[in-house]
Amino acid sequence: MTRDAIKDLILEIIEDIDEDADFDSLQSDKPLRDQLDLDSMDFLDIVMELRKRHKLQIPEEDYPELATLDSCVNYLEPLLADA
Amino acid sequence: MHTPLLIIGGGLSGLAAALRFARFIPDVLLLERHSRVGGLNSYYYRNSRLFETGLHAITNYADPKEKNAPLNRLLRQLKIKRRELDIHQQNQSEIRFLDRQSLLFSNDFSLFENEISDKFPGSFDGFQKLLLLITDYDPFKPESFISARQVIQHHLQDDLLTDMLLCPLMYYGSSIENDMDLGQFVIMFRAIFLEGMFRPGGTIKDLLEILLTHYKNYGGKLRTKASVVKILGDDKKVQGVLLESGEEISCDYMLTTIGSEETFTLLGKPSGLKKLPRLGFVETIFELPPQAELARARDRTIIFYNKAKTFSYQRPCELLDINSGVICMPQNFQNLPPSSFTEVRTTHLASYRLWKNLKNDPDSYNRAKENAALSSLPVAEKILGNFAQNIVYRDTFTPLTIERFTGKNNGAIYGNPVKIKDGNIGFDNLFLAGTDQGFLGIVGSMLSGVSIVNQHILPRL
Repeated sequence: MTRDAIKDLILEIIEDIDEDADFDSLQSDKPLRDQLDLDSMDFLDIVMELRKRHKLQIPEEDYPELATLDSCVNYLEPLLADA
Repeated sequence: MHTPLLIIGGGLSGLAAALRFARFIPDVLLLERHSRVGGLNSYYYRNSRLFETGLHAITNYADPKEKNAPLNRLLRQLKIKRRELDIHQQNQSEIRFLDRQSLLFSNDFSLFENEISDKFPGSFDGFQKLLLLITDYDPFKPESFISARQVIQHHLQDDLLTDMLLCPLMYYGSSIENDMDLGQFVIMFRAIFLEGMFRPGGTIKDLLEILLTHYKNYGGKLRTKASVVKILGDDKKVQGVLLESGEEISCDYMLTTIGSEETFTLLGKPSGLKKLPRLGFVETIFELPPQAELARARDRTIIFYNKAKTFSYQRPCELLDINSGVICMPQNFQNLPPSSFTEVRTTHLASYRLWKNLKNDPDSYNRAKENAALSSLPVAEKILGNFAQNIVYRDTFTPLTIERFTGKNNGAIYGNPVKIKDGNIGFDNLFLAGTDQGFLGIVGSMLSGVSIVNQHILPRL
């Protein structure tokens, strides 16, 4: 999966969690949670959707790697190389 | 049979937990002892219509734009659309201390603030300070017991107002006598006064069916009439359950929503929890014809009343205590579709022990039930206006009814006075959600199920 495709995947998952999420002003190097008003319960949905859609098992200690859109892409790129 | 997650108890916390899990991993089995789900909030058929068991109103009303309000968080977590709920807000409710004072409140908090400023001007500054505390307090942080009564009294310097604030919050969620834990008070104050009350346009059955439909669409499994007689395992880890039918079901993780003490009974070991008195209730439903007039309280949704000198919230020395209680008019929510009946529901504190003494003597028990309804009627009429002549049907639940249908020890609807906020009861793979975890009400219990699954189970599977 390309970096752009991974970015789209994450945004699609977030849109699925909150259909009113506003991506226009989203900065890819800033925490997603603050910008989109997501709480920790919503955040778990991203992890679980990745698991459901791509059979990715993300260990709890790696959750911080998903903090920003950029860090998501960096973390997921090798894991989704063959997807 | 084997399942990755087994959930004991198909009440609202168990249903919500099961639905949350099934969204991502469909291999979940929900066990319910009775033929219907819902637990305390279920329904039954009598006199050729459906009666709701527990529902007065759903607390935690929130506007759609309040994204982080408990109701909206819950709907997101379960992927349920708000419109599926068919939300109808309350008209207006009241705290009435007879011959003393009355406070109105609604889903617009400014009404309540104005009432307090008009009727308790000397306490209004203190009330504002109390509000700041309520807004800032983190009720989910594990803390030892802090007396809410002392904190309120310290801020308001008024015994009557303190009792009036506590009365609805205790009746709608306190498992302990004459006081509340500060965290519990904050949760209930937000749920009832700051957020507010609503009900679905249909019945609780519709709400339960929405949950079940979503759950089954994800592939989740439900077994009703499946009574667990033993939880199998050792001191640290559970392996599965033994059902009354003799069948064994093994699992990797287990969630129990049936109560802490009730769970340890199935484990066959002592809970080690402090034994405190449990509070029981008696509820009577008076059915009236459609459009029956309640002359003195036409638009009221719920009235929390007290007619004694001081408000006492404790186990009574008699079968029930009519000095205080809750009167609910389930038709008085905004824009409800027309109904073929009107209801008045009264709830009072009751003595489980005294009702239990009558258990083996059906005649006395039935007479006592009759008397409970009849003794509740005059006080309800005093508040609502006369309606006795219009009653077409009546039914009463006692703490024994509640114990029989929900399995809650002593019929205590708010469960064990000792709450286990983190859901951890000392096992690697068995966790507690529901009433004894400490979130109350329909939205609260569902969030309890969801948050325990999120915290302890989803990240590990």
